[in-house]
Amino acid sequence: MKRLMFVLTIIVVFTLALSACATATEAPAATEAPAATEAPVATEAPAASGEAAAEVVAGDTVLPREETLYFNGQQWSAVVCWNPYSSNCNNAMAIAQQDNARTIMFETPYMYNMMDGKVYPLLADGPYAWDEGMTKITFKLNAAAKWSDGSAVTADDVAYTWASHVKYNTGTGAANILYVADIVAVDPQTVEVQAVLGDDGKSINPLLVQAYLSSNYVMQKAWTEALEARAAGDAAAFMADVAEDVVYSGPYGKFFSDDTKVVYIRNDAYWGQDASMWGKLPAPKYLAHIIYKDNAAGTTALAAGEVDVSQQFNSNVQDLWLEQGLPISTYLPEAPYGIGASLPTAFFNTASLGLDNVAVRKAIAMAVDYDTIIANAMTNQSATFTQVPRSLMNPTPGEQAAYDKAAVADLQWAGNDIDGAIALLDEAGVVDTDGDGFRDIDGKKLSYVATCPNGWSDWQAAIEVVAAAGAKIGIEITTQYPEWGVYQTVVTNSPLPAEGYDIFMMWSDGAGPTQPWGRIRKLLSGEFAGTTNNWNGNWSGFDNADANALIDAIPTMTDAAEIKAAYTELVKIYLTEVPSFTLMYRPQAFHTVNESVWTNFPHEGDGTDPAVPPLNLTDGYSVAGLYNLTLVK
Amino acid sequence: MKHTLQQVFRSSKFVTGFCIFAAILMVVIFYPLFVPNPPLEIIAQGSFFPPGTYVSTYDTVFSSKAYTLNLTDAATKRIAAKLGDQERNDIKEYLMLVGVPEDQIDSTNTILLLDLWEKNYDPTKKISGMIFSKVRYFERLNKSLDGLLSEEGLILASPNIDTGTLEQVGIINLSDYVNIKEVASVRTLPLGTDNFGRDVLTQLVKATSVSLMIGLIAGLIATFIGLVLGLLSGYVGGMLDDIIMFITNLFTVIPSFVLLILISYSVGQEHRGAVMVAAVIGFTSWVWTTRAVRSQVISLRNRDHVNLSKLSGHSIGYIITHDILPYIASYVVMALILQISSAILAEASLSILGLGPKTSEVPTLGLMMNWAMIYQAQILGKWWAYFPVLLVIAMITFSMNLMNTGLDQVFNPALRD
Amino acid sequence: MKGYRRYFLNKLLWLLVTALFAFILNFTLPRLMPGDPVAAIVARLAQGMSNSTGMKAVYEQYAEQFGTNKPMITQFVLYVSNVFQGNFGASFSQFPRPVIDILKSSVLWTVSLQFPAIIVGWIIGNILGVLAAYIRKGFDKIVMPVSLFISNLPAFGMAVILLVIFAVDLKWFPTSGGYGFDLIPDFSWRFIWSVIVHYQLPFWSIVLIAIGGQAIGMRSMSIYELNADYVKYARFLGIKDYKIVGYVFRNAMLPQITGLALAIGTMVGGALVAEIIFSYPGLGTTLLSAIQGQDYPLISAVTLIITVMVLLANFAIEIIYGLIDPRIKAAQTD
Repeated sequence: MKRLMFVLTIIVVFTLALSACATATEAPAATEAPAATEAPVATEAPAASGEAAAEVVAGDTVLPREETLYFNGQQWSAVVCWNPYSSNCNNAMAIAQQDNARTIMFETPYMYNMMDGKVYPLLADGPYAWDEGMTKITFKLNAAAKWSDGSAVTADDVAYTWASHVKYNTGTGAANILYVADIVAVDPQTVEVQAVLGDDGKSINPLLVQAYLSSNYVMQKAWTEALEARAAGDAAAFMADVAEDVVYSGPYGKFFSDDTKVVYIRNDAYWGQDASMWGKLPAPKYLAHIIYKDNAAGTTALAAGEVDVSQQFNSNVQDLWLEQGLPISTYLPEAPYGIGASLPTAFFNTASLGLDNVAVRKAIAMAVDYDTIIANAMTNQSATFTQVPRSLMNPTPGEQAAYDKAAVADLQWAGNDIDGAIALLDEAGVVDTDGDGFRDIDGKKLSYVATCPNGWSDWQAAIEVVAAAGAKIGIEITTQYPEWGVYQTVVTNSPLPAEGYDIFMMWSDGAGPTQPWGRIRKLLSGEFAGTTNNWNGNWSGFDNADANALIDAIPTMTDAAEIKAAYTELVKIYLTEVPSFTLMYRPQAFHTVNESVWTNFPHEGDGTDPAVPPLNLTDGYSVAGLYNLTLVK
Repeated sequence: MKHTLQQVFRSSKFVTGFCIFAAILMVVIFYPLFVPNPPLEIIAQGSFFPPGTYVSTYDTVFSSKAYTLNLTDAATKRIAAKLGDQERNDIKEYLMLVGVPEDQIDSTNTILLLDLWEKNYDPTKKISGMIFSKVRYFERLNKSLDGLLSEEGLILASPNIDTGTLEQVGIINLSDYVNIKEVASVRTLPLGTDNFGRDVLTQLVKATSVSLMIGLIAGLIATFIGLVLGLLSGYVGGMLDDIIMFITNLFTVIPSFVLLILISYSVGQEHRGAVMVAAVIGFTSWVWTTRAVRSQVISLRNRDHVNLSKLSGHSIGYIITHDILPYIASYVVMALILQISSAILAEASLSILGLGPKTSEVPTLGLMMNWAMIYQAQILGKWWAYFPVLLVIAMITFSMNLMNTGLDQVFNPALRD
Repeated sequence: MKGYRRYFLNKLLWLLVTALFAFILNFTLPRLMPGDPVAAIVARLAQGMSNSTGMKAVYEQYAEQFGTNKPMITQFVLYVSNVFQGNFGASFSQFPRPVIDILKSSVLWTVSLQFPAIIVGWIIGNILGVLAAYIRKGFDKIVMPVSLFISNLPAFGMAVILLVIFAVDLKWFPTSGGYGFDLIPDFSWRFIWSVIVHYQLPFWSIVLIAIGGQAIGMRSMSIYELNADYVKYARFLGIKDYKIVGYVFRNAMLPQITGLALAIGTMVGGALVAEIIFSYPGLGTTLLSAIQGQDYPLISAVTLIITVMVLLANFAIEIIYGLIDPRIKAAQTD
């Protein structure tokens, strides 16, 4: 017995030693890495081990619940870097240069507000202005704007940021170089954005030029130069730098980050407390984002009051208050609970047998039971097509007003219209010729594979419903879910394969300063047809001369009626040709809040003017919500 | 043979296990005969409908016979469903917040309470300190109380085809009842629906049969490989034994779960049908059988009857099938049972990792579990979507292990009770 | 002692051979997967980008960095030389974070969760097993079926049940994570206590499963031993029962130790899935996110680490076993 205990002790000691070894042997390995590996990896390693040390800026290691606003759903794995020039920092809370840019740490000149479609100045002072000939935009910077190191934000910083994007061909640079010619500082407070001009001497795309101002951060020139010195001119090193020393202008900076959370601390010297901007500091001292493994873990934490603002899909979110009686709410009191902004869409592979026939495409789209998709896949967190008829517009009132609903009413379909679909197919002569129960073309039965990436649960649930519709109208539709790695290489490279991708799902743009034009372009524009490595849209390769001409013309149109007519025409083409069909509406961001600690979150009719959008208090103008928060009494 | 079976069925453990297993098998076989609905049919618009009997509201209204029952507790029940103790307290709390003195509020007197509520509730009034979710709660409460005390029936109306105006077609009185047997469309969902809106029970039965099939295929493959390698290694010996044992030892220490993950991942989802997953599991779990068979064969190899057979000039094949296999048959059967149950567990674990069979063709126990968890059933208290699945997995493997233990006791007399 | 050295060297050689084999498997299998992980990274960059030539440039830049445009054999050589320097390359899904950096944090969580849990489960299971064998009757009737039932629950099932009962319903324990959501790691009591509290549910979900399997094995072993001649002889001599049980326990224990060595791989597999249910920041969750992120450097590194851990545990058990098993000792004196 004694000996046995001795053995057990040895086992335990050994286990502990093993674990100790595991750490002891790995630690030096990490620091050795730079010397041993190739250049690009080498530059990352030292910074990474620096990050692993997870230094804490201020002394406290407990985040007081009443000073911290907890998020989830934006960050799904550890933060990689703090460098806005990199497009791969996996630092969702701090770095998201997009239509509704996240401005808690870095700031854009303007903030976009999806509620009214307008932009509001952030680093800028007053509205921007185009010159007479539509060649350039001029705007002033707020004189109060300061960097976190106390120096002023100047026009030079704005110009140098753009110059660096171009010089190192960053994502931002590559995306805008065709539309933005240059950004120059007229004087320390005045910036001039020069557009690329078309044959008529005007900006070829004023929409994208002005969108630059609300989508992209301004970085400090001095810090960028320090970064360049570190990278020694190497673009890869420039973009891969971890940038722990980054200088920012926003209200929050880095506090702590590891595999389980990332925490931002308020900069109490933030310039925005100046009366010309917010007039005060944002309420929470810390913003913390816990990294949950999946939606289930996130919902659990939200229900437990460990999350204040949740940007994830909480299935059956209403149960949280209806059945569990928790102090949780969404922007709208009833389904769809949020404001739909993007249109997850099923595309047709027109190379497949029969799918080049518009009657077949339209019949499938008509037969799909959208109400079931919305009720089951989205658990009703989407407007239905009865509420918001199908168009290229998202359900926001601004976009809905952009086209003439009545003019396209007779082209609409509400879904689950089996009789209509059958009649359409019969009329087009697509019938079952060999009596096997499936319709045929040229003696071959119509058989399609509907697909979306594996594990994208709401899309998979939607695709199942699409497949179910096929059987009802005599078309065989089976489903298949390749891994995302496979899926995306296939659908982004034209031509699509002959098998396996007949009906496939992809996304569309949400709400933003170029919308709905940007979304329509990505859904219909022929410029993307037949291209490889196409991450923009129009994956079915639709190429219609009328649509292309309208898409090209809209950005330079100025007459409201003319624009509306053009949009209506595009919707007509879309509903007639059916190159793709939207399956549901999806919010720009899910926005569910728990009022256990904080209250006064944005909600419908909250009396804010302009209305704060339900974008988690981080995106675009939603950041204004941080200044309205109060503690629950 | 007959004697062995008799002995086997005398073991209480085996019989218990066998009965449980047979019961599961019976359900799997006979349920589809009584409920022929396709298991993957999406019937519900909405997810996670709770278990219960669903009666068509429309058919209820137009049921051929209407009965009038004057039940004294009907009104009380109707009110209690909307206005429980919790709601009464909340109303009292609200009334006090807007300045109604506490002694004027009698939360047990429904009529007075609702009267006070009607007079004092104002949705537009901002009450300081009240969080927004509470504001919405009172809005919902107010809505649900609407018409609670009404004694009037509800009017049924339908639009006139020609004029479009509503015309009364009937009245539903408070004392109207239908006999549930006379309602045309009634569907009982004993385990509710899942996230796709599918009938959980029907799907569960199908999933059980698919998982059993996966287990059987994987078990057969593993047992076959194990048996062949074990026989070769044990009987032929020498170089072949060394090689086989080398490979077997390799796969013994490399965790089979790791192999399973790596292979399933490499195969890719579009190729992962149920049979493919079964095959992958089978090909990674033969090691134990090989070892067990080999050691048995080695101990048999030098027995007298085998030597005798050798001397009579019988071929290796003859010796193996006639002099060795019968002696190790019981071990092989036991190994097979264990393989089947562990394959069912392996499929479930793989599916939880998102490496299970592809979703749309057939349900499996692991996939059902995985989808329930993806749609957060366990957090939202939708027990019917995952707990029965877990229970079935446990019952299958439990029954098989029980049978195995029973067999063990029969064939290893030392273990007998 | 010479004999033991041979035993030791033999086992060590085995360790190395299997490790090498595991290594090759780990490299090849994930790479047989069709699809292009580099494109997955570019996909993330793509949002907001509106020109495809720019995208193309970014894509090629990443393909070059990951070496996916090189022949498989070159990639392998590169990988081998890197791993021997403790460098698993950069993760795809968390680029440019090095894989080693991701593993460093999760390995410690997994090791300190799983090994104690498996050992505690093993000890409790064995004690219950021998008691069941000795007492038989009532105890056996209860312990035996209950252990059998519990050990047949899938590990994730036990985790879900514990989660729903103790975390979601009773709220005795936290639902997820390795430490409090409002804490930052340090050496304060508050933090350590929080780690201990978060440890309980994952720990017990592994222990409970392990107990069942071990108890059944130990019971069989003990029954064999109880029927052995020496026990009868000891009884005949009138030696006290608890002493006999002690002998039986010791003798039945030896095969159980080898049993542990062989079962450890399976147990680790199940426990990894249990980790996922609790979002425990260990290798299981890392593996899941690697699978979802199509991150094959990370997948092969995680599976390699798990394999190596199991191999080492195996090796350790065999070495200790060699020290205590009289039969091996006897063989050594030959």
